[in-house]
Amino acid sequence: MEPTLKTDIAVIGGGPAGLAAAVAARAAGAERVLVLEREPVAGGILNQCIHDGFGLVRFGEALTGPEYADRFLRAAQEAEVQILTETMTLELTAERRLTALGPQGLFAAEAGAVILAMGCRERARGAIQIPGTRPAGIFTAGTAQHYLNAQNLMPGRRALILGSGDVGLIMARRLTLEGAEVLAVVEKLPYAGGLARNIAQCLEDYDIPLYLSHTVTHIEGKQRVERVTVARVDEAGREVPGTARVYACDTLILSVGLIPENELSLKAGVKLSPVTGGALVDEDLQTNVPGIFACGNALHVHDLVDYASAEAEQAARSAVAFCRGEAALPPGIPVRPAAGVRYVVPFFARPGSRPLLSLRVSAPAGPGRLVVKAGEQVLAARKFTRLLPSEMARLTPRLPVPPGAAEMEVLVSDA
Amino acid sequence: MPEKEMRCIICPAGCVLRLSYDADGPALLALSGADCTRGREYAEQELTDPRRTLTSTVKVRGGRFPLVSVRSAAPLPKHLLRPAIALLRDLWAEAPVEAGSVLLDDILGTGTPLLATRAVPSQAIKSAMIAL
Amino acid sequence: MEKHFDVLIIGGGAVGCAVARELSRYDLTIALAEKESDVARGTSGKNSAVVHAGFNNPPGSLAARLCVEGCAGFAAACRELGVPYKRTGKLVVATETQDLPALERLLAQGRRNGVPDLALWTPEQARERLPSLSCHGALWSGTTAITNPLLYTIALAENAQANGVEFFLDFPVDGITRMEDGFIVRAGRRRLRADWLVNAAGLYSDLVAAWAGDDGHRIYPCRGEYLILDKQAAELLGTPVYPVPRPGIGGLGVHLTPTVDGNILIGPSAEYIDSRSDDGTTAAVMALLWTEAARLLPALAQSRVIASYAGLRAKTVPAGAADFGDFIAEHSSKVPKLINLVGIESPGLTASLPLARLVARLLGGQLPLRPRADFRPERQRAQRFRDMTPEAQRAAAAADPATREIVCRCETVTRREILDALDNPLGVQNLTGVKARSRAMTGRCQGGYCQQRIVAVLRNEYGLKPEDLRLNGPESWLFAGEVK
Repeated sequence: MEPTLKTDIAVIGGGPAGLAAAVAARAAGAERVLVLEREPVAGGILNQCIHDGFGLVRFGEALTGPEYADRFLRAAQEAEVQILTETMTLELTAERRLTALGPQGLFAAEAGAVILAMGCRERARGAIQIPGTRPAGIFTAGTAQHYLNAQNLMPGRRALILGSGDVGLIMARRLTLEGAEVLAVVEKLPYAGGLARNIAQCLEDYDIPLYLSHTVTHIEGKQRVERVTVARVDEAGREVPGTARVYACDTLILSVGLIPENELSLKAGVKLSPVTGGALVDEDLQTNVPGIFACGNALHVHDLVDYASAEAEQAARSAVAFCRGEAALPPGIPVRPAAGVRYVVPFFARPGSRPLLSLRVSAPAGPGRLVVKAGEQVLAARKFTRLLPSEMARLTPRLPVPPGAAEMEVLVSDA
Repeated sequence: MPEKEMRCIICPAGCVLRLSYDADGPALLALSGADCTRGREYAEQELTDPRRTLTSTVKVRGGRFPLVSVRSAAPLPKHLLRPAIALLRDLWAEAPVEAGSVLLDDILGTGTPLLATRAVPSQAIKSAMIAL
Repeated sequence: MEKHFDVLIIGGGAVGCAVARELSRYDLTIALAEKESDVARGTSGKNSAVVHAGFNNPPGSLAARLCVEGCAGFAAACRELGVPYKRTGKLVVATETQDLPALERLLAQGRRNGVPDLALWTPEQARERLPSLSCHGALWSGTTAITNPLLYTIALAENAQANGVEFFLDFPVDGITRMEDGFIVRAGRRRLRADWLVNAAGLYSDLVAAWAGDDGHRIYPCRGEYLILDKQAAELLGTPVYPVPRPGIGGLGVHLTPTVDGNILIGPSAEYIDSRSDDGTTAAVMALLWTEAARLLPALAQSRVIASYAGLRAKTVPAGAADFGDFIAEHSSKVPKLINLVGIESPGLTASLPLARLVARLLGGQLPLRPRADFRPERQRAQRFRDMTPEAQRAAAAADPATREIVCRCETVTRREILDALDNPLGVQNLTGVKARSRAMTGRCQGGYCQQRIVAVLRNEYGLKPEDLRLNGPESWLFAGEVK
């Protein structure tokens, strides 16, 4: 199909990352910036996140999700970004050609650079293989949030929540306030998956128990959920015999992880990290496919939207530089997560650069130091009192990557 | 002199605050564990008059979406959250709703208004595209 | 007065629907009663979706004969009915050297059954087809195929209905009375009357026979669990791979099967249970399936499971029995005008149309079967958007606004396809029905994206109230109502 649309920058996804990227691309001098958004209104998942607490880092205010999105929507309007809503991108090639379907029909577009900002999806029951029947009444937390906040639909009356991710915690409070009974939140790991402030204001405020090192071992119910069995697990995640408890409930909410959305990226030949599920980017947030950049939750799942927006702006500046032909540099050296660190983004950094490193620890840590090294040389060391796997740490090394270094590593040390 | 621990909910850092206080009053006497000055403000507030921002939804007549998301313009006394939610059950907004528009002047005598947090244009949509 | 039919079929699985469709060729009044809210909700929808060649069953058995006949005619039936069909062939592999003699026995059995295109392959030949395969030798069957058993059963039902068969869904038969002039079949207070009964009740076929007065049958349910893998694993497997069947295990052994939609199935296990309805999965078996699958195809270890399910086999022999339980398809020896189809487990899907023709012959011996001039065997089915060429996609989108909206992103299903699924002739308007017909909600996100859109369509375009939305059966409510 002949391309009917040509653009300097194509942004796939009009959520917080995509909108921030589009605005930043215009600010960096891109003439034509196109956002492809599948919903009728841009803003992404923020539109259903009606609680407050967004924008504390960026704006110093506790905005609700729709309010945070609105700031970027207005900025995009002022910057004359073209947003195609109700438009699903179906194909992406390594040559940065897109096929999309929307109100104007099926069309092809060609972009100078592409920014992947598709966000993430929720892990479903099948992926964690909870034994039992398959009745109605099992919802992922985000789906339940959508029904409750957008469609005015009550998912159930007596709910148990599996997983202590932030969406699950937020839903515990929302369901309680709207009249449902939340029996407990159970978490397989020995620590919570969501932010501490959400444990306090979503669970403790409403006396909802949180059971760590517990999981759902069985679902019963012929047509609708009738009973859910919860048991304690040991360090290896195995059920501890004799600890099973049965909860009579009609609803099971799953908040068991988010997975970056990258089916399109794969079609274009973008290589993904098995750890983050996002693209293997360099310090410019460029993927292995030249001219294709990634940011936001499509790159790695963020703890705060503020950082997703900031990351998107960085990707946009790199994408604009690529369009100008500035970014033809040699590949960087690997950035490796070492002791205590689960992942680090970016995955590659060029000698001479001081890449912004986003990382998560693999288990609760602290007090200690985050150390960035190249060989024996320490590029950065930052003290911290505590770091949880639910939080993303961000760190820019004081010293640039030295020439000739074989790899960088980021680790947690005691002292 | 009683002591207690609480989790600061002002920002994502989620500091663990350790308070000692005078139970009569009650009044904050000493505080540790806060990484910034807002921790003290929070601890004092939480000790004397705990407050939370109310966020929920209100039904919309003639709108593109069935609900509009709302918030209290300022935090409300914690004990008023449930009564306030009950109040919203019977409230209707008329489309079009502007973001930031006042849907209720005074929530339960607190003097705090209820605001829409997004715009809801008129007319319902008839497609699989849904209210997000 | 309740409706009176010439023939009432009890059971809306592949076999019952095939019987309905086959009998609709003749000048008869026909009804089909199904206890669930849709057809293919039992064993027919929960199996490996394989069209078997017919080498697994003992020579001379009814199962062997009908399976070979069914396999030979399956492609044509799928073309006629608009159902996906793919001739993949199949490999039975010897994972140990001591399995090799069993391959020879299967080959000989297959040849005696009249199965074409069978051959013994060396490990090298097998690996030419499936490079990551671990084996000492294999039996190749060239006529084995895969289909979509849900769409197959639905197509049979829809075609039967178009030819005049009346479907009674949510009709859980709980009693049968024999009268002078036929049977009264009850479900609670609802009643149907018929001269003839065809018992195609699968797991409940012994009970249905007994209610009609024939207590000569017994069903032993045998559960099989499956895992479904993400499509990203599809390139690993273009052909079903089975281990050598071991006697007495209740099935063909845990095997790997590609689906027509590009997923991989692992399973089934075989576990005799007391319940006819407990199709729940278990932690122990799910772990076992992984181990067994990795033995056949070690490369699978990296794949992702997107869903799991279990189905129940309707066996006529109990656990540990050395005897093979053949299909029973005959006039009841005790009750006149009752035709029993009992113990129709694998390869029942493959044999469904031959079984239906057998029923027609049994009836024909006692009833005048006059072919109807207006019988139409074809069922039209719109091409899926994702299967179209880009040019056809562009034209379809240009012509129809509902084709410009993707509702299910994982399987690329348009709103038009959702509407088509909801406008189905059987009148099924629940989420599982949409899933079976459109493939929405079957992908890697398992409905995380599209279920809420389908709910919106059901409310906005079909006027369903929140409390009337169902996953499948009448008790499977999705919402407690509106929030406010």
